[in-house]
Amino acid sequence: MTLPPAFWTYLKVVLLVALVPAIVGFVVVLAERRLMGFMQARLGPNRVGPQGTLQGLADLLKLVTKEDITPSRAEKAVHSLAPVLAVIPALTALSVIPFGPPVRVGRTVVPLWVADVNIGLLFLLAITSIGVYGIILGGWSSNNKYSLLGGLRSAAQLVSYEVPMGLALVSVLLMTRSLSLVQSVRRQEAMHLWFVFPGLLAFFIYFVAGVAETNRNPFDLPEAESELVSGFNTEYSGVKFAFFFLGEYTAMIIISCVAVTVFFGGWLPPFPNVKALEFLWQVPPALWFLAKVAAFLFAYIWFRSTFPRYRFDQLMALGWKWLIPLALTNILLVAFAILLTPGWTTGLVWLGWTLGVLFVLAYLAAKLRQKLARRERLAAEPHPVEG
Amino acid sequence: MALKKWLDRITLLDLFDGLSVTGRHLLKKKVTIEYPEQKKLPSDRFRGMFRLDEERCIKCTLCAIECPINIIYIDWHNEKDEQNKSVKVLDRFDVDLKRCMFCQLCEEACPTVPKSIWLTTKTYEMAAYDRNESLYLDIRKLTDWREAPNVKPFTVVERG
Repeated sequence: MTLPPAFWTYLKVVLLVALVPAIVGFVVVLAERRLMGFMQARLGPNRVGPQGTLQGLADLLKLVTKEDITPSRAEKAVHSLAPVLAVIPALTALSVIPFGPPVRVGRTVVPLWVADVNIGLLFLLAITSIGVYGIILGGWSSNNKYSLLGGLRSAAQLVSYEVPMGLALVSVLLMTRSLSLVQSVRRQEAMHLWFVFPGLLAFFIYFVAGVAETNRNPFDLPEAESELVSGFNTEYSGVKFAFFFLGEYTAMIIISCVAVTVFFGGWLPPFPNVKALEFLWQVPPALWFLAKVAAFLFAYIWFRSTFPRYRFDQLMALGWKWLIPLALTNILLVAFAILLTPGWTTGLVWLGWTLGVLFVLAYLAAKLRQKLARRERLAAEPHPVEG
Repeated sequence: MALKKWLDRITLLDLFDGLSVTGRHLLKKKVTIEYPEQKKLPSDRFRGMFRLDEERCIKCTLCAIECPINIIYIDWHNEKDEQNKSVKVLDRFDVDLKRCMFCQLCEEACPTVPKSIWLTTKTYEMAAYDRNESLYLDIRKLTDWREAPNVKPFTVVERG
């Protein structure tokens, strides 16, 4: 018996689009709280279930059973609509992410993505941008000045960082020659090259902009607990608050997924060009994908527990004065690397080596200078009292 | 100078330094003590639960006099022992623990060596559901904690 193709589509919608963010969300919430605990030399929540594994479930139960409060002078309809607007676009965007190559189930070949849209990247940028409406409307409809400020900050932030993010992805388009995410992975497979190598700058810009777009530390100005009493979601409780939460974490997942697909070879194992590492292909490709996404989510958590929040003008300066010029320069570099060398790959490899070596050298030089300056300062200072 | 600053900036030197700090803490031993399962041994001068030695006590009532909020109540009378000597016998030695601030002045006032009343028992688990019954200590409860069921003597639990 062969099942109709529609069946597989429905199944994938349920599994990949609805279930994945929920499960990954649980894991990430727990991982975030525990890892942040570890980085602050404490243990984090470890009481619910073995090692706290059921913490997500307990949180969910708490949120679902909480009273759903709407402020008396809030815009009721918009207030209820906003959390939905924050979640739905994020979930929709998951449908174009290729989680792995097609797998064979019986006699049918099932691709591990819901849709291979030929304008995948554009679709992603467009859909994920809608998510900010949830935040702005939520902040505005609460009839609370702090929430409104949070929403406005979020709008400004999104407008500023959408530009460098798009420009960073343009340089990848030059390498891929396609907007489709599946094509991007196939291309990296054919070229035996992860695009992060020639696209080091592009990746850096993309990830910084991605962190900013998901409103995470150090760019969490819309929430800014210490200034805005948690910003746009102050007036939300219960399930609506949970929706904002889910939206934020799904957005994180999507940014990570796109980074993995576009820069880190999607489901490909590491070092696709090295013959000695061919045994890595034995691991199911979807697992490679998940592992890479997990690494990115870890980076998110690491950043959160390390970096202090940017001031608003610093945020704007970083976006407009640094990232956008950098992204434009990067496009030129990549274009010249492709144009001025024979074939498609040679120039990119050279570009990758040049950028990588230059950065490492600059970093070592800066580090050395820091060490020497420190030693000089210590020598100049009188020694602390002895004996 | 400006060039050096730029070098630091474009190589994200400070950001990497910060990440390495949190990265190291991720693997470090954690400082948390998981209280009911693990307990920290109080220091030697830790002021905790009272204890009274009735035989050492000379019934001088200095502790009750010294107490800044007057929560120690002592009554005694004279008795003749076997050698027909006059000895003081305690009728009442009560400490109203619920008002005690653990200042240790009573212990400092005690003239006997070693002290007859002391707080350095390292015992601090004496939470109770009622104030007037459980946190009012008479001679029985002060000399033998088994009589005061809300007092749990400190047991050493090693930190894991």
